[in-house]
Amino acid sequence: MSICLLGSGNWGTTLAHLMACNGHDVKLWCRSRSVRDEINKKHTNRRYTEGFPIHKGVQASNDLRACVDSSDTIIHVIPSKAFREVSRTIAHMLRPDHVIIHATKGLEQGTQKRMSEILCEETCVRQIGVLSGPNIAREILADKPAGTVIATRFPRVAAEAQRLFAGPRFRVYDNSDVVGVEMGGALKNIIAIAGGVIAALELGENARSLLITRGLGEMTRIGMSFGAEAPTFMGLAGMGDLMVTCASPHSRNHRLGRAMAAGTGLEEALASLGMVAEGVNTSRVAHEIATERRVYAPVVEAVYQMVHEDRAPSDVARELMLMEARPDIDL
Amino acid sequence: MNEADAPAIRADVVHRVVASVIAESRAGGGRPVREVINETLFHEKRRLARRSEGGDEERAYYREIRHKLPQTSAIDAESIVSDIVTRYADEISGHFNPSIYRFATGVINPGLTGLLNGLSPKRLFRRRGSLQPWDEMLVRQGEVDKLLKLRERGTILLVPTHSSNLDSILLGAAIERMGLPPFTYGAGLNLFENRIVGYFMHNLGAYTVDRLKTDPLYRRVLKEYSTVVIEYGRHSLFFPGGTRSRSGCVETHLKKGLLGTALDAYRNCAAAGHDRRVFVVPVTINYPLVLEAATLIDDHLQISGRARHIIVDDEFSRLERWAQYARGLFALDMHIYLRFGAAMDPFGNPVDEHGDSLDPQGRVIDPSGYLRRGGEIVEDEQRDREYTRLLAAAIANAFQKNTVACATNVVAYALFSVLRNESSESDLYRFLRSVTPELPTPVDTVLEELRALLEELAYRESEGRIHLGEIVRTKDAELILEHALKRFGAYHTDAAARRDGSFIAVENANLLFYYRNRLDGLGLRGQRSEVPGRISR
Repeated sequence: MSICLLGSGNWGTTLAHLMACNGHDVKLWCRSRSVRDEINKKHTNRRYTEGFPIHKGVQASNDLRACVDSSDTIIHVIPSKAFREVSRTIAHMLRPDHVIIHATKGLEQGTQKRMSEILCEETCVRQIGVLSGPNIAREILADKPAGTVIATRFPRVAAEAQRLFAGPRFRVYDNSDVVGVEMGGALKNIIAIAGGVIAALELGENARSLLITRGLGEMTRIGMSFGAEAPTFMGLAGMGDLMVTCASPHSRNHRLGRAMAAGTGLEEALASLGMVAEGVNTSRVAHEIATERRVYAPVVEAVYQMVHEDRAPSDVARELMLMEARPDIDL
Repeated sequence: MNEADAPAIRADVVHRVVASVIAESRAGGGRPVREVINETLFHEKRRLARRSEGGDEERAYYREIRHKLPQTSAIDAESIVSDIVTRYADEISGHFNPSIYRFATGVINPGLTGLLNGLSPKRLFRRRGSLQPWDEMLVRQGEVDKLLKLRERGTILLVPTHSSNLDSILLGAAIERMGLPPFTYGAGLNLFENRIVGYFMHNLGAYTVDRLKTDPLYRRVLKEYSTVVIEYGRHSLFFPGGTRSRSGCVETHLKKGLLGTALDAYRNCAAAGHDRRVFVVPVTINYPLVLEAATLIDDHLQISGRARHIIVDDEFSRLERWAQYARGLFALDMHIYLRFGAAMDPFGNPVDEHGDSLDPQGRVIDPSGYLRRGGEIVEDEQRDREYTRLLAAAIANAFQKNTVACATNVVAYALFSVLRNESSESDLYRFLRSVTPELPTPVDTVLEELRALLEELAYRESEGRIHLGEIVRTKDAELILEHALKRFGAYHTDAAARRDGSFIAVENANLLFYYRNRLDGLGLRGQRSEVPGRISR
């Protein structure tokens, strides 16, 4: 059996490459014919993974049915905006014995749903896992060491993730707190936007540490209001992912924050990225959640105002500094 | 269902439990049989020490085992375990008498009616020759027809909400009225000991659950019993909330142990090559007034000392409270709503009337696929625990959707919201103590809140997220308020609320809290859950 991977973006292509490097036969489904041809003929995906060759074990296809039918395991890496639609499209092709591992970090607009909840609502599959962690695609393509988390309550899914992804340069840790890992992966993108602002405004390392630590507290509080476990946020999918995404100039959300702080408008900043920055969507959803559930989350609120209400990044940053200080540990 | 199965069921239970204990002991690094026996001795000794009277036979039995255990061989130890398991199985199934089981269909309704009429002679006189009062009072709603069809296609497992000890009696009566055979279920030993209800329990196909027995081996026998009964095709019933809801909330945290037996039974049948379907049907039982409300809420708030797992001395065991309750119900023509939710498979998927499992898009799927790998049925305890957790979530969700809001719940919710919003006290306990009849609320204020609440409820009902009792759906706020206040005053010693001129006075804030909790956690009128440990969504 081959492995079916949905989504030919930056992270999808990277995961397909990683699995192929581990000796697996990967069917990568994409919509675009030109991307399909480029991957199959030139073994590159210039738009998303420029400068890195893609392993020849990755076969791209536009035929969704053929990809799903030939696999017992589906890796779902479609952006949150199209996640439900694609899940619904494949629903009638799925069987109860299928395994789905998704690697999409976001929350659905309007419903505030996590991606695994969408899978449960749209498909018959129950054996679901979430892959999330501090994983900059470029570094993994460059074969630099990294680690990630597979969150699932099904032993078969955890074993499958180990089998597919783990290797000498990539470690896979397991965690049964699916809610915590999904919330961590989604919410850190908001803090990353703020991280980009701090870098662009040259506010310094102290300020960045202040942001990361207080931001982690906000992520934890919001996650806990959905039943997530606090310690998950100290792990790779929480603190780990937050650190890399706030520091790395490669992080899309970080780059978006930087661009906006330099005076670029949202649309223009997004266009210059050329790919999805999940933090934009997530900041809207998280703002709603924090308001409805009365969770204290000033950084989320600040990013929301900057991204969606057109407030100047420097004003928002100044306001954050002038707020009343709450206890250091405040869960 | 076959009554002659009873001895075979018991033998199967004993065989399976003993075989698994022995297999575990023989596996590398497994648990020795002697250790299992010592555990039984420890738990049973502790239980018997707490017992004030009786139990001499049991004490002597365990004393003898303790005495001979050090000298026994491994083989002899296995036979001791077998003996203990047999005793447990006998006790569990002991109250299950096949001849009474058959007789049961005819006895519940007349029995119950007789009992209640005996307590309410006026009613008997007035209604002589007409319909039985229970029939008028008990409103059956929801997917009743589908349930009747599914009984032909597989084994039904009814999982009701649990508010009162009356629940099992009412369900028994409803099951009989629907033309279904009696359902098998585990009833607490304390119910058998209750002089009023013991009579009904013996006649309902009940087996015994002694909740004071903490021995893990006993729990194992109990679980296996439930599993085997389902495998034999006996429709079963248990309360997944475990005990009666203390707070008055619709249960969200369900006990996974017994619930998991639905999946165990389904898997065992599938592994043996039988396509025996198991259908889980959630039921909500919605009372305008709850017989034991005062005791339950006090226990929830731990007013009478430490919270008790098992309550035996409540309203249920006192005849005069029954009489008062029955009189109240009859005099005011109250309706108790039994609402049957959509049937699902042991994985939480909906099933159609043919008993086929459906995916979220309405496509028929083969549920045995959830247990297969490479086409074979595979055992995996952790996987099955997770499936059962998802089933529990689906049941809890169905409980909410099938809740029928009675006038008493709606009025209590509105009044509680007004008082809570006006109070500066954030602590629930201090808040409840601060609510007294001396500080009444203007009727108009309550009505205003009630109208807004009714509007929200009507909208939610149109979306299928909740159901409304007839009065709540059809009458206006003034009438609903009067209706509820009359009912509050009909039974409880201190009314949750009563009218005082143009004001509403709260006599018993705890009861008000209890009746409003039925709608807790739904975010109605933007109110947060007042019951600790509930996570929204």
